[in-house]
Amino acid sequence: MASAQTNIDLSSNTAATATGGLLVNLVSLPQEAFEATLSNLALAFPGETVLVATPDTAPQLSADSPLRLIPYTPTTVSSAPWILTAADYLNAFKLAQENRAATCLLLGAESQSLQPEALRALAKSALSVDLTVAHYDLGPREGLVNSAILYPVTRALFGTRPRFPLAIDLGLSLRMANRLAATAQRFTAASQDDSFIWPLSEAATANFTIAEVSIGRRTIPQPVAPDLNSLLAQIAGSLFADVDAKASFWQRARGTQPTQTIPQTASVTETPDTAPMLDAFRLAYTNLHEIWSLVLPPNSLLGLKKLSVLHPENFRMPDNLWARIVYDFILAYRLRTINRGHLLGALTPLYLAWVASHLTLIHTGTAPEKHIQDLASAFETDKPYLVSRWRWPDRFNP
Amino acid sequence: MWQQVELALRQSAQQVLVKLASFLPGLFALLLAVVILSAIGAGLSSLLRRSLVAAKFDERLARNATTTISDWSPSHSPTQLLARVVFWACVLIGCFIGLSAFDAAYPGGSPVSVFIFPYLTHSIGAVLLLIAGSLIARFLERSVLIGAVNAKLQYARFLSLGIKWLVLVLTAAMVLDHLQIGGAVVELAFGILFGGIVLTLALAVGLGSRDIVSRSLERSADHRSTLDPIPGDPDYKASPAESLRHF
Repeated sequence: MASAQTNIDLSSNTAATATGGLLVNLVSLPQEAFEATLSNLALAFPGETVLVATPDTAPQLSADSPLRLIPYTPTTVSSAPWILTAADYLNAFKLAQENRAATCLLLGAESQSLQPEALRALAKSALSVDLTVAHYDLGPREGLVNSAILYPVTRALFGTRPRFPLAIDLGLSLRMANRLAATAQRFTAASQDDSFIWPLSEAATANFTIAEVSIGRRTIPQPVAPDLNSLLAQIAGSLFADVDAKASFWQRARGTQPTQTIPQTASVTETPDTAPMLDAFRLAYTNLHEIWSLVLPPNSLLGLKKLSVLHPENFRMPDNLWARIVYDFILAYRLRTINRGHLLGALTPLYLAWVASHLTLIHTGTAPEKHIQDLASAFETDKPYLVSRWRWPDRFNP
Repeated sequence: MWQQVELALRQSAQQVLVKLASFLPGLFALLLAVVILSAIGAGLSSLLRRSLVAAKFDERLARNATTTISDWSPSHSPTQLLARVVFWACVLIGCFIGLSAFDAAYPGGSPVSVFIFPYLTHSIGAVLLLIAGSLIARFLERSVLIGAVNAKLQYARFLSLGIKWLVLVLTAAMVLDHLQIGGAVVELAFGILFGGIVLTLALAVGLGSRDIVSRSLERSADHRSTLDPIPGDPDYKASPAESLRHF
């Protein structure tokens, strides 16, 4: 873990005053990807001087290049390069502060796939809004954890619209970067540099402005060792902890999200292979029923029982059942009904059941994005259920 | 002769009554110490709980630390944990004071106090061992069950029960050994039982996994011998499982 001080390019201080304060913070990239990113940035901001902070070896740029490279050594290093972690937010704020940048673009791994138009749109939005979140065009089989859990929960509880709460491309105002860095500091101080930060909930609780910018197709980096069990436990656990910490905020009444235009997504033509997921769910239903009964109320258990006997082609998990399952797991996380590691492990088969249901549904012709929006609406509709169980966990148990 | 029998009986009864009379004050002192210290513990615990609730101890701890004490005490707040620690500490102190009073009240050099006092401390240790072993067995059972289910092992429940009974048998053997009950018989029985459970689990896992292992070996052999298209080739077609991206 690096502990050296951040290096400052003194020549960039004057440039920072002249740029209008835009700092682009890159994560460590391979050489070719880094050069491609620089090319895209130069195309995105012609005639402007932009500060680009990078932990990689900075190449020599031509004198007429609009980019001013700031090589730096991160004070904290993340070991999960596929996603933004506490270490990245802390580094970004420190650089923005040291270079007196009013706006910061934080770009995740594989940033060479971001088109110049997308970079420009992010930067333009970041000038007037505290938090700008990227919207990605994903296929119907991609970003399933986000569709199943992250987006519906964040939208229902915090009243935020952006589709990707854990987006890896963000535009931050200085005060937004400060707030995220303050949150990240608590984790890095406890040597938890790879902890996740949830920008949308932070912005919502601080009453900062939020915007979402469509950036089209992008190469989404994948974890090196994609073990679904451990990653789902890590991400869901972080989200549940964040929800627990901000309970006093989301329990106050919030308006529902306005209807938004559902973007066209590619239809699914091939038959989904849901057999492994359904087998995993049925095996879990047989073996984990006792553990689920500690967390889920009788109604939800009955719903799961009905699911366990359905044929694959008719396998359909109702949206409100999934919403209540997620809410019950959030509540159990807070109450420590069972060990948290066990709780999150028991969530995986239920998530796989949802995925199987989702794939089966979209194979019948339902637009994937429409299903996700309907699911998010179900989460919003059942929010009073979570609030009631949160306040009276022993008395309210439907 | 009957007079001598009567005299012997009267003398032995008198001796027993004297011993009982000397035993009772010590026992009464023991019970009194435990009861008084338990009452003091309950009072202190209640006072501490009220003070910590008034000072919002739980909220301050949760706000300032990413991991809290309550992570290690399932379904209880740190306030509750501290209050119970104080209560049981007082009960334990009461037990020690009571035992010391019992030992002091009993005639010195008597074989009863020499045996009872160490055995009581061993008993407390054995009870603690039993509690710890049970908790560990339950935790491991659940961990193995969830892990095996997520790994799609059909014998997940069997495996978890085996682990649980392994730990429980080990705990029972340790408790009996600590209480010095059974001696070599317990050790032998434990060895046979433990070895039997391990052998059963090994056979079950080995026999149950042979299909998986043979399929895996076949797949490895086929992969080396055939020229399958690799990702990037025009003929490559991702399997449905590979094209599914959860993140």
